[in-house]
Amino acid sequence: MPNPYLPVPAKILAIQPQTPVDYTFKLATDIEPAWGQFVEISLPGYGEAPISISDAGAGYIELTIRRVGQVTTALHRLNPGDTVYLRGPYGTGFPLAEFAGHQLVIAAGGTGVAPVKGLINYYANHPGELEGLHLLLGFKTPADILFRADIERWQTIFPTILTVDQGPGGWPGRVGLVTEFVREIPLKPHARIIVVGPPLMIEFTVAEFIKHQVNPEQIWVSLERRMHCGLGKCGHCKINDFYVCLEGPVFNYSQARNLVD
Amino acid sequence: MGYKLTPAGFGALLDELATNYQIFGPVRYAGKGRLAGTDLTTYGPVRSVSDLVWDARTTFAPKEVFFPVKESLLYFSGQEITEPSLEMKETLVFLRACDLNAVSRLDKIFLANGPEPDSYYARRRQHIHFVLMECQEGFPGCFCVSMGTNMATGHQAALRLENDHYLLQALAEPWIALGERYGQPARVEPVWVEKNPLTVRVPERVDIALFQHELWREYACRCIACGRCTLSCPTCSCFSVQDVIYRDNPERGERRRVWASCQIDGFTDMAGGHQVRADRGDRIRFKVLHKIYDFRRRFGINMCVGCGRCEEVCPEYISFARCVNTLNQLMEVQGRDA
Amino acid sequence: MSYNTKELIKNAYRITSQRGFTALRIRVPGGHLEASYLGLIQDIARRYGNGTVHLTTRQGFEIPGIPLDKVPEVNRLLAPLLEKEAALGVPIENFQAGYPAAGTRNVTACIGSRVCPFANFDTIALAQKIESLIYPNHYHVKIAITGCPNDCIKAHLQDIGIIGQVEPEYDPGRCIACQACVKNCRQFIVGALEMDNYQVQRDGKRCLGCGECILQCPMAAWTRGPRYYRIVALGRTGKKSPRLAATFLEWIDEKAVLQVIANLYRYIDRHIDRSLPKEHVGYIVDRTGYQVFKEELLEGVDLGPKGRVARELPFYGYSYDRNLYMEG
Ligand SMILES: Cc1cc2nc3c(=O)[nH]c(=O)nc-3n(C[C@H](O)[C@H](O)[C@H](O)COP(=O)(O)OP(=O)(O)OC[C@H]3O[C@@H](n4cnc5c(N)ncnc54)[C@H](O)[C@@H]3O)c2cc1C
Ligand code: SF4
Ligand code: SF4
Ligand code: SF4
Ligand code: SF4
Ligand code: SF4
Ligand code: FES
Repeated sequence: MPNPYLPVPAKILAIQPQTPVDYTFKLATDIEPAWGQFVEISLPGYGEAPISISDAGAGYIELTIRRVGQVTTALHRLNPGDTVYLRGPYGTGFPLAEFAGHQLVIAAGGTGVAPVKGLINYYANHPGELEGLHLLLGFKTPADILFRADIERWQTIFPTILTVDQGPGGWPGRVGLVTEFVREIPLKPHARIIVVGPPLMIEFTVAEFIKHQVNPEQIWVSLERRMHCGLGKCGHCKINDFYVCLEGPVFNYSQARNLVD
Repeated sequence: MGYKLTPAGFGALLDELATNYQIFGPVRYAGKGRLAGTDLTTYGPVRSVSDLVWDARTTFAPKEVFFPVKESLLYFSGQEITEPSLEMKETLVFLRACDLNAVSRLDKIFLANGPEPDSYYARRRQHIHFVLMECQEGFPGCFCVSMGTNMATGHQAALRLENDHYLLQALAEPWIALGERYGQPARVEPVWVEKNPLTVRVPERVDIALFQHELWREYACRCIACGRCTLSCPTCSCFSVQDVIYRDNPERGERRRVWASCQIDGFTDMAGGHQVRADRGDRIRFKVLHKIYDFRRRFGINMCVGCGRCEEVCPEYISFARCVNTLNQLMEVQGRDA
Repeated sequence: MSYNTKELIKNAYRITSQRGFTALRIRVPGGHLEASYLGLIQDIARRYGNGTVHLTTRQGFEIPGIPLDKVPEVNRLLAPLLEKEAALGVPIENFQAGYPAAGTRNVTACIGSRVCPFANFDTIALAQKIESLIYPNHYHVKIAITGCPNDCIKAHLQDIGIIGQVEPEYDPGRCIACQACVKNCRQFIVGALEMDNYQVQRDGKRCLGCGECILQCPMAAWTRGPRYYRIVALGRTGKKSPRLAATFLEWIDEKAVLQVIANLYRYIDRHIDRSLPKEHVGYIVDRTGYQVFKEELLEGVDLGPKGRVARELPFYGYSYDRNLYMEG
C-alpha cells in the first residue's frame, strides 16, 4: 500500500521575493495541479505546511509563501538549488466547467491572490473560454502587493480594479476595501464569482455580491483551515460533515454558507 | 463452537496463545489512578487470566493498540527520509461490543475517508484480531442499546465470565482447536446486553439553526477544554503531526503523529492568530454533532457507540447523553411546530 | 473550693473565665469521627455543660460550662471515646478517669483523599497512627497533617506539619503535548515543568510533589509514583515571634516521618527547661539551635534515596515589633 504521508524531494528552481515576507518559490516537480489545489510542503525537522499552488507549468509549480511561523520561516532561509519535500496535490480546485462561457469575477484579498493567480494566468492565455473576466484585487498597503508583474499584464488584458486599504501619499491607484468596488463591476445575470482572502474579507465581499443580486450558487470561495494531513484523516480541517482538505478548499457558496465552524 | 473452561484451562489456553500472539485487554494498574488510592483500568498487555478486568470499564479505549498515541511516520537523517518499518506480531485484543463496533468507525476514517487509505493504520490493523468480552449488564453511563452497538460482529471468539468458569464461543481458528484442547464442549449462545439504564435518542436530523441555540452557551462556561471526553473515546481519530529533531543528534529526527482533540486549545489555530471555535460551547457542539450526525451523513452510521466513557471521565460532569437527548427534544419540538 | 488546676489541665479541662466552671476538650484525631459519638457529646453538653459545644481550631469539641465538681462524673462518661483511642493503639490505663494528658495536642488533618481529589494520601489514617505514637504525653506539641501543599490544615503553623507528596511518573509515549500540566504548574504551582521538543521535562528539585500534573493530564501520561512526605517544622502562633514553619525534610517515607516524630519527644525530654511550668518546643529550639535539633531528630532515620534535609531553617517575616513599620 502506498504511503500517502511520504513526501518527495523537489528542487528549488527560483525564489522571487514579492514583499519582504512573501516569497514565491518555483519548484521542480511533475505535479500537475488543478487551479485552486494545494500541496503539503515540508522541511524535515521543521514540519509541514499546506500551501496553495499559485502557478504551475511543465515540470514546475509555484508556491507563494508568507513567513509566519516555524516551517515558513525555515523555507524562507533556503536558496535556489536547495531541496524541499512535497506531497499532493490535494483538495478540490475551481470548477472551470462551471465558469466556461460565463462572465467571471475574481475578488481576491492579500495572500488570497495566490490560489487564483494560476487560474487568472490560465484565462489570460485562454480568454475565449469566458465571456469576460473582471479582477478585483485588494491589498493592505502598496507595499503588500503581490505578483506586480502579473498584475501589470492582467491590467492590459482584463478590466482590473487594484485597491489598497490604506494608500500613502503618492499612491496613484484606488484606496478602499474590496467590498467598496463591487458595485463598479458591470455584473451580468449569470456571472460567476470567486472570492478568496482572509475570513472577514470573504464574508463581507460575498455579502456585497449577494446584495447585487448574485445567487449563492454563482459564488465560489476558497477556505483556509488548520491542516495536519491533507488526506482526510487528521480531523483538524473538518467543518460539519466536510473536510476542507478533501471537498475544499474551494466550495460553492451555497454549501460554504452552511459550514459553521 | 461452544466450550466451557475453568480458569486454569483458560489460563493454559492463553499461555499457548501467547507464543504466537501478543495479547491486549482491559487490565488494572494498582495505584495508578488519577486520584490517590485509586487504580487505573485501561488497555495493556494481558499476561494471565487474572489480569483481565471484567468489573469495570477502561478509562481509555482499545484503539491505542492499533492507533498508537504516538506513531513515527518518517525518520530524517540529513537529507534522507526513510519510512519506519513495522514488524508486528499477530495481536489479540479483548474488548466489549461497543468497542468492537468502534473499530469500524476508525476504519472508516483511516481507510475510507478521502482517496487514499492511511498506510500506517492499515499495516497495523491487518494484524489485529478481536475477542469479544460479553457484557452482562454494562456500566453506569453505557447506552450501547440506544446506539445499536450492543451487538457486534468481526470477532474470532466471544468470552463470557459466568460464576467461576468461562464460556467460549469459538468462531474461527485458533479458537476452535484451543477450545477442544482446553475446554469441555458446551452450548454457548451469544448474550447481548438488551437494556441500559440510560437511553439516548439521536435526532434524525439536526437543523443548522440549532448551532446558535443557547444550549451551547451553558457549556461555554462549564467545559474546561481538557479533552478527556475525546481522548478516552473509542471512536475519536484526530491527530496532529510533529516534527522533532533529536536533542542528542541534530542531524536526525522524525515526523510523527500524536493524538489530538478538538476540545483542546490550539486545535484550529492558524498562523496569523486566526482560530475557529475559540468558544468551548462551540467545541462541544462540534464534537457532539460529529458523533451523532456529521459522521453519519458521510458514512451512514453514527460515530458514537454509546460506550459511556465521555460520561464517566468528564471532570465537569458534562453529559454527552443529556446533550444528545436535549438536541433530540429540540428537533422534535421544531418538527411539531413546523 | 479546692481544685488542683495542674491536674485538671492535664485531664483536658480548662481553667475558664467563669469561676467554678470548666470546659472539657474532646480529642478527635485526624478531625474525623463516627457520627455515633455525637450523641455522647450532646448528652454531656446538655446534662453537665451549658448546652453549647465549641468546635476548636484543633478539630476537637470543647464543652463549656461544666461545674468543676462534676468532673469525675463526666470523666466516667468519656469511656467510649477513650475506648476509641485505645482501638487506635493509644495506651489507656483507666477508662473511667478521663483523658490522661492534654499537653500534646490533638493531631489535626485536612480531610485528605477520602474526600478531596487533591490529596495525595489518607491524612486521617496517618493522624490516627501518629496519635497512637505520641499520646498520651504532657509535652506541648502541635502536629498537623495535610494532603497536599494547598495546606488546608495550616500545617505551616504547627511544630510539625506533614504534607503529602507524590512523585509524578511521566510516560512520554502517552503525552500528547497538550500542555495542561505545564501551564498549570507554571501558573499555580512552582513552574517545575517545561515543554521541550514536544516532551515535558520536570525539574525534580523544583517540584513540590503536589500531584497536580497527574490530576491535569487527560492521557494518564503522568501517573502516581511512590508517595512521600514533606515535613515543615517550627511554625507557631503566640505572643512571641509568630512564624510560618519552614521545610525541614522532604521526599521521605512514612517510616521516616514516624521516627522523626518519636525523636522529637526525645529531644524535648533532653532539652526542656524544667524550671518553667511548661516550655513549648519552638522555644527549646530557639535555645539549642537548629543544628542540635536537626541532629537529634534525624538519629536513626533513614531518609531514603530521595530524602532532603534543610541546611538551616530560614524563618522570615512576621514581627510583633510594630514600631518598625506602623505609622504614627
Ligand atoms: C488550503 C490552504 C492553503 C494555504 N495556502 C497558503 C499560501 O498559498 N501561502 C501562504 O503563505 N500560506 C498558505 N496557507 C497557510 C499556511 O499553511 C500556514 O501559514 C502555514 O501552515 C504556517 O506554518 P508555520 O509552520 O510557518 O507556522 P506555525 O504557526 O509555526 O504553524 C505550526 C503548525 O500549524 C499549522 N498551521 C498554521 N497555520 C495554518 C493555516 N493557516 N492553515 C493550516 N495549517 C496551519 C502548520 O501546518 C503547522 O503544523 C494555506 C493554508 C491552507 C489550509
Ligand atoms: S462519544 Fe462518548 S459514549 Fe460515544 S463512543 Fe465516544 S466516549 Fe463513548
Ligand atoms: S470529536 Fe473531535 S477529536 Fe473526536 S474525532 Fe471528532 S473532531 Fe476528532
Ligand atoms: S471532558 Fe468535559 S470538561 Fe473536558 S473537554 Fe470534555 S466536556 Fe469539556
Ligand atoms: S507535582 Fe506539582 S510541582 Fe511537581 S511538577 Fe507536578 S504540578 Fe508541578
Ligand atoms: S497534561 Fe499530560 S498529555 Fe498534556 S502535556 Fe502534560 S503530560 Fe502531556
Ligand atoms: S487536513 Fe487532515 S483531515 Fe483535512
